[in-house]
Formats: sequence, structure tokens, C-alpha cells
Amino acid sequence: MADQIVQMTVNGRLEQYRIPQHMTLLRFLREMLALTGTKNGCEAGECGACTVLLNGEPVNSCLVLAVECDGATVETVEGLTERGALAALQQTFMEENAIQCGFCTPGMLISAYALLQRSPHPSDQEIKEALVGNLCRCTGYERIVKAVRQAAQA
Amino acid sequence: MINPFPVLPEFEYIRPKTAEEAIQFLQSHPEQARPFLGGTDCLVALRNRRISPNFLVDLKYLDGFQDVIFHPHDGLTIAAAVSMNEMIASEPVKMTYPLIAAAAREVGGYQLRSRATLIGNICNASPCGDTIAPCLVYGGMLAALGPDGKRCIALKDFFLGPGKTILQPNEIVCSIRFPLPPAGSRGKYLSIGRNALGDLAIAAVTILAFPDASQPSGYCFRIALTAVAPTVIFAEEAQRLLSQTPLNEKTLEQAALLAGQCCSPIDDIRASAHYRREMVRVLTGRALQQVWNALQKDVQQEGGNG
Amino acid sequence: MPELDQISQGIGENVARVDVQEKASGAALFTDDIQFGSNLLHARIKRSPLPHAIIQSIDISQAERLPGVKAVVTGADFAGRIGLYLKDRHIFARDRVRFIGEPVAGVAAISEEIAEKALDLIRVEYEPLQPIFHPLDAIKPDAPLIHPDLGSYEVVNFIFPEPGTNISNHFKIRKGDVERAWAQCTAVVEREYYIPHIQHVPIETHVAVAQVSHLGKITLWSSSQSPFAQRDLIAKTLGFSPSDVRVISPYVGGGFGCKAGVTMEALPIVIAMKAKGFPVKLRLTREEEFYTNFVRQALVIRLKMGCDQAGNLLALENTMYWDGGASTEYGVNITRAGGYSSTGPYDVPNVKTDSYCVYTNNIIGGPYRGFGMSELHTGIEQCVDELADALGMDKVEFRLRNVVQGGDTLATGMTMHPTGIKECIQKVAAAVDWGKTSKSTEPYLKRGKGIAIMWKAPAMPPNPGSSATIKLNEDGTLLLGIGGQEIGQGTFTVMAQLAAATLGVPVKAVRIAKPVDTDYSPYEWQTVASRLTWSMGNAVLAAAQDARRQILAIVAEAWKEDVDDLDILDGVVISRKTEKEIKLKDFAVYGIPKENFEGWIGGPIFGRGKFMPTYVTGLDKETGQGKRAVVHYTTGAQAFEIEVDIRTGKLHVLRAAAAFDVGKAINPELVRAQMEGGLIQGLSSALFEQMIFKEGTMQNPNFVDYRIATTVDLPDEMMTFIVEVPQDDGPFGARGVGEHPMVPTVAGIANAIQDALGIRMQGPPFTAEKILLTLQSQEEKKG
Repeated sequence: MADQIVQMTVNGRLEQYRIPQHMTLLRFLREMLALTGTKNGCEAGECGACTVLLNGEPVNSCLVLAVECDGATVETVEGLTERGALAALQQTFMEENAIQCGFCTPGMLISAYALLQRSPHPSDQEIKEALVGNLCRCTGYERIVKAVRQAAQA
Repeated sequence: MINPFPVLPEFEYIRPKTAEEAIQFLQSHPEQARPFLGGTDCLVALRNRRISPNFLVDLKYLDGFQDVIFHPHDGLTIAAAVSMNEMIASEPVKMTYPLIAAAAREVGGYQLRSRATLIGNICNASPCGDTIAPCLVYGGMLAALGPDGKRCIALKDFFLGPGKTILQPNEIVCSIRFPLPPAGSRGKYLSIGRNALGDLAIAAVTILAFPDASQPSGYCFRIALTAVAPTVIFAEEAQRLLSQTPLNEKTLEQAALLAGQCCSPIDDIRASAHYRREMVRVLTGRALQQVWNALQKDVQQEGGNG
Repeated sequence: MPELDQISQGIGENVARVDVQEKASGAALFTDDIQFGSNLLHARIKRSPLPHAIIQSIDISQAERLPGVKAVVTGADFAGRIGLYLKDRHIFARDRVRFIGEPVAGVAAISEEIAEKALDLIRVEYEPLQPIFHPLDAIKPDAPLIHPDLGSYEVVNFIFPEPGTNISNHFKIRKGDVERAWAQCTAVVEREYYIPHIQHVPIETHVAVAQVSHLGKITLWSSSQSPFAQRDLIAKTLGFSPSDVRVISPYVGGGFGCKAGVTMEALPIVIAMKAKGFPVKLRLTREEEFYTNFVRQALVIRLKMGCDQAGNLLALENTMYWDGGASTEYGVNITRAGGYSSTGPYDVPNVKTDSYCVYTNNIIGGPYRGFGMSELHTGIEQCVDELADALGMDKVEFRLRNVVQGGDTLATGMTMHPTGIKECIQKVAAAVDWGKTSKSTEPYLKRGKGIAIMWKAPAMPPNPGSSATIKLNEDGTLLLGIGGQEIGQGTFTVMAQLAAATLGVPVKAVRIAKPVDTDYSPYEWQTVASRLTWSMGNAVLAAAQDARRQILAIVAEAWKEDVDDLDILDGVVISRKTEKEIKLKDFAVYGIPKENFEGWIGGPIFGRGKFMPTYVTGLDKETGQGKRAVVHYTTGAQAFEIEVDIRTGKLHVLRAAAAFDVGKAINPELVRAQMEGGLIQGLSSALFEQMIFKEGTMQNPNFVDYRIATTVDLPDEMMTFIVEVPQDDGPFGARGVGEHPMVPTVAGIANAIQDALGIRMQGPPFTAEKILLTLQSQEEKKG
């Protein structure tokens, strides 16, 4: 097993760890940094539960190697919450009851946040397309789409 | 029994500093090293035990591998490590090569496309690779680098079969270049999956058409079909018919029929061969109609202007 | 939008979910999130690659020697059988394997990588046996027996296995005389449907962590709908006392039934028994979640229904063959539920039902959101449409004429309670402009409307109990102890509302004691059957009343007033007579001093409550007759307007409407959220979902090829209606509604397809391809 020392800024903090090269960013965040808000749903880039921001762009952290992130900036639901970046979305997700079991929620919030960053006033169709990579089995999505729309209008 | 690893299996991660170093590493580790871009296919294949390389050679950080370069006369070059999202958002792709953006939009979800690359999609050589057909109709040329230096490969000559290409194991694709689309080009990408979006294509049709005075019909059509043959293919007979026969509703319909006949789909769990063939016919018909309407509108407007 | 915490308390108010802040911030703890430190071991399971075989030998010696491996177990280590209603399953296979994916051996190692390597070193030799993959093959007289020892298995007294066959339960109803009734029918419809296996697809896969102390005490952390049932079943199987097992269950990332009972949770426990002291984690991969855990069993349903000229249903014959799979420990009760509800929500005088639970070498069937009911109604509701068509009668009118009403005698002999099903039908019909046609924009797009209705009772043993505790804190807040699980449905919020309203405190003053912990939480049978709002709600009500009595007694004594003059409002005890006031926080724990330092009154307030239905009776084995088969039925209806592209077969839902009679909506927005989520899950199963098997091997055990609905597959418009006909044994009149919203969806879509295109298919999913091919073959028939 090949190990490597990586340095990356996670939620604004510089982290340095010696990790196996085959470790995914998802495992790194959950197992090394105890950032368990990022969820493991399929490990194949299909469900979106592990979505985080890598250098500002949403990625499935299960399909990113932690060693690829050497020198990069990563933000998770915990960090985005702490710096208030998700406040508007969190408020509308709560108001619209867009959360049930909550397992998809962190990934959903991050995808929605990234959408509003690149397109502050999206149409419903844009919202739906932006969230197509985030599976939710509880809510039926309608309230999630509405919550994103409301956050954009707020 | 599909029984993937619970975590990624062990391998070593190599980040070469130059393309030459990458080639050298690949050459000195035959069968063991594999080029690595966005990882969206590679890591899944690793986890599913479809591949078991000892080394992943990351090409993302090589000089020039992140570039999108557009020359108003020479056309567009997209380097290997450009993500699909960057590509979709880039002005020349949006304005001049919209079919590439339209097809890329069908690939997975947004967060997958932050990592997925056009070159990766091409090198996987999946018959259902969404972006391959648009690259074919735009006449894409791959720039490959190997121990013997650079070579250019026309995309249409690149594929041998599902997952198979003419690329040598010690070669890497650095970029794809597209000439400017012919003047007056109009195109359409239509695909059908199980979900309304984000699913692998059961069948897809890409059409690019443009005025061409050398053709009897006055137009040249390029029609590429996805997920209905061992590789993405051109519907050659349909193309020929459309260039040689006066264009009207009936010709379009006939061309759609020919497209349906020329493919050789298989039955799999996503769809039957029969359904795929039907979809080629229907989607080709619809795409042709839209492209033809656009071409006619151009003529009317020119007439109006003139 | 008012501030969330300013929304007034109360029943029928849209109080914000109590778990929402945690879940929106990533702070909510799920089982896989619990940190166990560096001595956590990782378990992996060696599984059967064959559908049916004798295990000749298992060699674990090499695996045991691999550095980093701490324990290797096989079926040889544990003899007991496990099961909720029928103990027919070993934790690890012994002697014989019965489906592809069945656990054969387990490994715990210091990393998942090493555990996985150890699996490759385990050698298993099998002697293949003839497999059976279809229930109709399994019931043939010469079919090989999948459970030759069925007769010796322990079984509850309302399940009837037939030893010597592959039938593990046969539920019958004999009411009236169907044979005579057919002669009186003007129209008779006879149909067979096949409903395929589907999977629950919680976004969180199953995770369980087990730790066994050196004295043998067991602690299990699991993503579970059933901590108490797990404790009980696992302990009994392993020869422990249930109180020697402690199950701790934090938030559940989606259940839908798949985390009920015991599925994979016993595996890490028996592995941990060989690695005492270490926590051992087993986390299923998405693929394992698909093909090794419980799924919704497939069903072959044969229906014959008839009515007279006026459209009155006269007779129904319903024969169901449930593909129970390799074990039917839970599935036998699905068969029973399908049986006693086999008429659907209709008043039918003559009924003959045979519901068979059949062993096959397929994956194990278990409970799935409204178990048995989606499958059953998929058949019933299409037949009803066809009967109405045969008479030329409007389908809404036909249903209104025949639906079950309060006072009707049901097929089991039970008397129906008042129900708002007619109102549900009328609401959804109106919402989609029933009876009016709307035009599509293109000639190749065809529109149609469909309706389907449903009923469902909580399916459970006659006596599942609930209990609750209320503990007042020094700050006047209260800690509500419950054993029911928050799986997304919102039960913590509803329980907080019930407790707050009964006690007289704001909802925000209620804390839910979590995680659910069988050592500290009051008993709850399982979080299943849409039973919590009703059953656990009754227990919470009782606990709150108990606490309230204690509070008022203390204050009455201190103030020398009559209890009847006192009330609790917003956390303050007041006297209506003297207008005195005292805040709960001022005495809830330390009591109230008597005058002149003469001593103290009161002490910590601790309320307790319980509920268990005591009125459900058994049903006769031969006729299915009994006084009260179930506690009650929740009813509802859905209607759809769809558009189909007849050239591609693609179906798009334009409008969807849902109405359910929930008795009383404690939190209307949460009720609506269930209606929407269930409808989309139902729609997903109607359009996309099917586990595809080839000789017992699942071909699509991942999201690439097991597609579920995503954001882009939503109806253009979704409308929900709450109907409230109170339930006499429910808290504030409430009934459950968690499962019901996906029950009528497949039938509703099927009926809309028929309306649009004039075609019917044998079963879901109604994929674009299936629709197109059915259209084409119909055109060929027409010539």
C-alpha cells in the first residue's frame, strides 16, 4: 500500500495527513476528519449523497481520490453551514418541509448552493436539472425544488 | 454476481510532471498502469473489479491539459482534462459547437460532470458514450502522444469496438480539435433514456447539416447514432440519400427509416434491439424535421434580407 | 413567513419538524457516522454464488491466518433459526444455501481491504440443487422442497404453513357463495397480473455495528426501524435473554420497511462474538443492499370479479401467489395482510380468497411500504375499471357505488368503521377535471386520465405494544421518551406535538430522547405499518396525561385548591379561580415549599403511558372469519392525467392528485409530505423499477440500471387533499398515512394508460419500451 502526505484546506482549515493513495475524498472527510455530514450512498457517483465542493465546484467525493486534492480547497456541509453560506437554503428547506430522513439533504443542499452560485435566478427546469444527480427517496422532490426556488427569490 | 469492493482496492497514484514522463511511465509498466483523468469511469470500474491496474497515472495536472482554445479560423481545441461543465459553459462550445454541450448535458448529474471529461468519454469507447456522436459530426481530430511522438487520429477512425480503440497502451490522448463547422450548419441532438434526463442513452441521434452546393440536394447531412452498434456509427445510407435526393417530408421519412435499418443494436437490460431500432427511426425523423425546418428558415431569412 | 419558533403550538398546526435543524446542517447522526476509534473492525460477508445448493465444505483456515483478520465465522458456529413470524432462516447458512447472496461466512478485520482479501481465501464447495425461480413452479407437486424441515419450524399461531410443500402460509377467506353469485353477474372480468420484485432504495444502506463484552453482553448500533424486535429476535436465536442485548439506533436514512425486523444485523453480532471487546461494523454496499437484503416480493395475482347490471359488485375470487423467496419469516404476514384485505376497499358479498406464500430460490421478500397492498390494488383497481367499462359506467360512479362504508360487514366478518373514502374519490376526481378531455399539443401525444383507490390496515400481530415516558427537566422543558424511530416520516415532530398539546407546553419545550436505546427508551414493537401516530401517539397521550395529573396534584396541594380549577398553559400552571400562576420550571424537579418552612410538596415529575390494542381477534383458519381482523383501515384515492408519446412510448404525468382520510392531521404539512413522497415512490415503481434476475442473479444491482425517479420525472402538478373522518381509537382521531400514498399509484397510472391508449399490460413497470411494444402488438392484432 502506497501512502502519501497530503495537504488540503478543508472548511477553511489547512489539514495535513498521511493517507493511502487509494483513499477517496469521501473516506478522508468521514474517517480522518469526522466530517460525517457528507454521506456515503453508493460509492459509484450515482446518488449524490457525498457531494462536496472541490475548489468551489460540486463533485461526488466518492469518485475523487484524496491525493488528487493535495493543495486543493474542499468545503463540506459543516463548513458551509458554519460560514453561513447555506443559511438561505437551509431556511427554505426547513420551511418547505423539504427534508424527511435527511440522508440526501447535505448533498442536495450543496448541489443547490452551487446552482445558485452560478445561476442566482434559475428556472424550475434549471433547478431540476441541477439536482438530477441527487437521489431522494422520501420527499418526492417537489418540496426540494420549491425550497430552492424560494431561496433564490429570498 | 456483481460484487464490488466495499472501498477502492489498493493502487498507486502517479502524478507525472510532464507528458513525456507520463508516457515513459506507461511504457515501463505495461498492463499495470492506466491513464487517469476525471476518474468517473475508472474508479467505478476499479471498484467493480472490471479493471485492476497497479498504477493510476494522473494526466490532469500536465501543462496545457486544462485548456479550451478557440480560433475564429482554425476552430476549437479541448484538452484532455477539461471538465464537461467547463466545456459546456465555454462560449465557443455554446455558440459554435452546441451539439457537444447538448449531449454533455445528458451525462450523469452536474457534480459528475465537474469531473467527467470529453476525452475520457471518448477513450472509454462506450457505444453509449453521449458526447462521441457530436464529436464525430463536427469532424473531431484527436492529438495522441506516444513514445514516438505526436500523431493525429481522426475520431471516425478511432474506435474498434465496445471499449476498444486504436490507441496504444503507452499512448495518451492530449486533446481533441474541431474545425469550424461548415457555414450555415444546423444541428440537433436527441436521445432517449429511461429517466427524462441523466440516464445512459438507450438510443441517441446527432445530426449536423449544412448547405453544400456540390450535392444534388444542395445539402450535406452528418448523422451519428449512439448506443445502437458496437461503436457510435454514421448512418451512411441515410446521409447519402439526403444529399442526393431533393429534400421533402418523404425524403426525411425515408432517411429515418434507413437510419433505423443501418444500426445493429443488441438486447440488454436497458432496452431490446427492436426498441432501439425503432427509437433510431423516430428520433432521426424528429431531429431531421427540426434541422430541416431550421435550414429552410435560414433560406427564407436570406431571401428576405436579399 | 413567520419565524419558525413563533408558529403556534397545537394539534393540526404545521409545526416545524423537530429534527430539521440537525438534518439541514449535517449534524444529524446516522449509524455510519458514529465514531468508534481506531480499534473498529470491519466485517465483510462471503455469500452464496448459487441459488440452491448443499454446502459440502467450508475451509476458513487460510482466511484465519491472514494478518489483520480477527475473526472468521460460518454457519457451523450458530445453530439457531431466526424469524419474525416463522423461524426459517439461519444467520449464516448451514448445510444448504437457498439464494444468491445468502451469507455463508463472515470475516472481521482491521480494515475493509483486509476483510475483503480474507473473503477470497475462504473456500466453499457446493453441490448444486435444482433451483426454483417462480412461485407457480414452486407449488407444483413434484417441485423440489426448499425447506424440507418446514414442519418443525417455530411459527406464530396465525400463520399456517403446509409442511411437505413450498407453501409457508395459506390464508383463506370463504364468505357467501361465489359460485352461485357468478350466475347473477351481468359482467365478469377475469385477469392475471404479475408484479415484479422491487427494492426499497433507502439512500442510506444498511449499517450495523456490534460489540460483545468479555462477559458476553451485546451492544448493537444499527440503522433500524425495529430496535426492540431486533433485540428480542437476535437474543432468542443466540440463546440469550433479550435484556442481555442492547440496541441503539440513531436516525435512519430511509426505511420503507427494509430496516424492519432483522435482516443483516445479526451478522456483525455473531462475528463480534468471536472478537470480544472490538466494535465490528458491517456496512452493506449499494449492490449488497440490492441483492442480499429483503426486497418487495413478486406476486402473481389471479382475479375474478363480477357485478350486476346496476353495477353492484357481487363476487370476487382472488388467488395470490407471493414469491416469498428463500425465507418467508416476514413474508408470511404479507400474505396474510394481502388475504384479509383482498377485496380492496369494496363491499363485496361473496368472496373466495386464497393467498399463498411460496418459497422460491429468489431473494428474500420482506415488508415494503404498505406491504402487499400496492401489489394487491394493482390488480383489483384495474379489474374494477374493466368492470365499469363492461357496463359502460363511469369509473368514478362505479367506485362510489361499491366502496366500503361505515357499518358494512367486511370479507373477514369485521364491521367497518366510518371512513371518508367517498370524499377522497370526489376530491381527486375533481382535481383532474374527471370526465373532461383535454387536448395535447401534438398528434402523437395522447392524453388520458385514471383513478385508483385503496385501503390498508396496520399489518401486525394482534397485540403490538407502545409505551412512552415524559420527564420534566429543571428548565421546564420535557424529555419525551419513545421507542419508535424517526425514519423521515416525521414521527418525532408529531409525538412532540401530541405531548405538548396534552401537557400544555409549547412544542419547542419538548425534547425527544434519542437515539432510541432499548436500555433506556420505552418499549415499542416496531416502526412499521403506519402505526406510530396512532399507537405510539396513544401512549404519548397517556404519558402526557399522567405527567399532567402529577403536576396539577402538586400545585393543587401547594395552593390548597381543587385540581379542576387548575390548567397548564404555555408551560405555566394557572388557577382559573384565584388567577395564581407558577412556571413549570419553578417546581418540576425540586417541588414547592410549604408555607412557613413546614416542608416540601412534589418531586421530579415522571409521566408514563402505554397502549396496546386488546380488541383484535383471530381469524378462522378455513374461512378467514373473525370479529375484528384489524384495528382499522386508512383509505384514500389518487387520480392522474398523463400524456404518452405514442412513437416512443414515453409517459409523462401532467397532473397527479392524492386524497387520504387520516382521521385527524396532527401536522397537515407532514401529512402532505407523506402523500407526495409516497406518490413519487409509487410513480417510480410504476414507470421504472424492477429487479431483473437471470437464473437468480440480479442483473441490475446498482443505480446505473435500477433507475428510480429523479427531479426531472415529476408530474407537472401534484395536488394533495386531507380528509378527516375521526378514528375512535386514535389520538385526537388520527390514523396513520405513512405507507398508503404509494399503494394506488401503479393502478392509477395503468388506468390512465388504458384511457389514453386503450391498452393494458400484465404488470409494471410501464416502461416506454413496454408501452410502445404493447401498442405495436395491438395494432398488429387489428391488422
